[in-house]
Amino acid sequence: MGVREAVTQHGNKSAKPKVVVEGVSKHFMRRNEELSVLDDIDLTVKPGEFVCILGPSGCGKSTLLNIVAGFEKPSSGRVTIEGEEVTGPDPRRVFVFQEYGIFPWASVWDNVALGLRNMTDKRKQQETVEYYINLVGLGGFETSYPRELSGGMKQRVEVARALAVSPDVIYMDEPFGALDSLTRLTMRSELIRIWQAEEKTILFVTHDVDESIQLAERIVVISDRPGRIAEIVDVDLPHPRDLGSPEYGQIKNRLYELLGVSNVV
Amino acid sequence: MSVWPVVVMVLAVFVQRASKGWGEVAQKIVMPLGVAAIGVALWQVGCDWAGSEIIPTPWRTALGMREIIASDRLLGDSLASLYRVTWGFLLAAATAIPLGLVVGWSTRSFWAMNPIIQGLRPISPIAWIPFAILWFGIGDGAGIFLIFLSSFFPICVGTMAGVRNISLVHQRSAANFGVSGFELMRRVVLPGAMPQIITSLRIALGVAWLVIVAAEMCGMDSGLGYLINDARFMGNRYDLVAATMIVIGLIGIVLDLLIRRLENFDEVKWGYVKQ
Repeated sequence: MGVREAVTQHGNKSAKPKVVVEGVSKHFMRRNEELSVLDDIDLTVKPGEFVCILGPSGCGKSTLLNIVAGFEKPSSGRVTIEGEEVTGPDPRRVFVFQEYGIFPWASVWDNVALGLRNMTDKRKQQETVEYYINLVGLGGFETSYPRELSGGMKQRVEVARALAVSPDVIYMDEPFGALDSLTRLTMRSELIRIWQAEEKTILFVTHDVDESIQLAERIVVISDRPGRIAEIVDVDLPHPRDLGSPEYGQIKNRLYELLGVSNVV
Repeated sequence: MSVWPVVVMVLAVFVQRASKGWGEVAQKIVMPLGVAAIGVALWQVGCDWAGSEIIPTPWRTALGMREIIASDRLLGDSLASLYRVTWGFLLAAATAIPLGLVVGWSTRSFWAMNPIIQGLRPISPIAWIPFAILWFGIGDGAGIFLIFLSSFFPICVGTMAGVRNISLVHQRSAANFGVSGFELMRRVVLPGAMPQIITSLRIALGVAWLVIVAAEMCGMDSGLGYLINDARFMGNRYDLVAATMIVIGLIGIVLDLLIRRLENFDEVKWGYVKQ
């Protein structure tokens, strides 16, 4: 079975929308001046889809993700998930933070078990935690503390913690931003592997054009402040993706064009 | 002409030599001991120079030390001071940490309580001595009360600050995984503030050890502070005063070493090590 088929098979893309963002705007008051961060965002994400939100720093893409996740309230508009309005964070939908959201005071095992803490079947809990620790390649580090791990390993712990609760949706806010470029590449291919295996809907915020083409099925390009959707670019390439292919180059040129930067230095 | 200035110079040259070339372990032991020896020699020089009978020389202090150890007073008074410090400190920790957690976490209780806490905090525990004696009489009660007061505010303020410094990412993580109520306190707020709580415990214990001596000098009939007063009024026994001061310093070091062991737990190390 080809990878392409696998993707279409698990993400039943004809089903009704998973996440719907309707007319979401956000503004802050700063020194008696209204600062518009997001302006009238409309977005529909299908179940099992991998969507990247791409834009320059400070364009409001993280704010958008925080609103979708329920950490912030929109100034106007609304977000619904399976028709239910988002009013706050929910364990069914997990956020992976850029600056290590795992608890430094807890061991790897305890961190991954956070979402499973109320499980009554302790053997099942043990098995699930072990499964996800192994899935992200951290078997043997169960009793380690985050300060003993590298940046990449900490981020894996966070991914395992998120996956362990079997969330429908995973929000990722530049999760690999703090990692070196080689680790980042590895983490991306592992994320694709996990996404294909676990059938999750993923919303992934990044300012990295290459990262978005390597990961997403669709790229939502956000323009600079106030953040508006400039265009939604489809990435119709099978995984694993050939970073040297002409199609890859074409998409890259299109994204640079939309972001208003030259792809020639 | 005394030989002590020469001894000081010889020791200084010795320490300077030791600072170079020697192994690190030797340096870490030899240099501080050398500096201490210089201190003692300078003390002797000062005594010679002043020529006063009342100021004790290092040797007379050592003899005084032997005297108070032999008379069992040192042990009894040290235990009396430690008893008051232990109970006052534990009572303060048991009340100030929970209060600090709640006041630090809840914005409304912060608004309500913080001005009062900040208003009471600058009042020296020494200023409470008249009331302490009025309420508890001359004895352990007053000492424990004063130590409680002097430890309570550093611990409470440190805990509040620790809670308010818990990063937004960790708060949001907790919210995302539905951690709330008492569980939020136990799993996130307390461990997140713990490194700063331990630092505040260290500060509080240091303050408590300073305050107990002053308190015992003012209105108690036992303890190391009382021993100092007693030695002075017994006929200007400044050798015993100096010996007691040295004991106070040594016990202070031991207390700090003991409480610092709390920093070695895996659950709090992250707060002290640069990542």
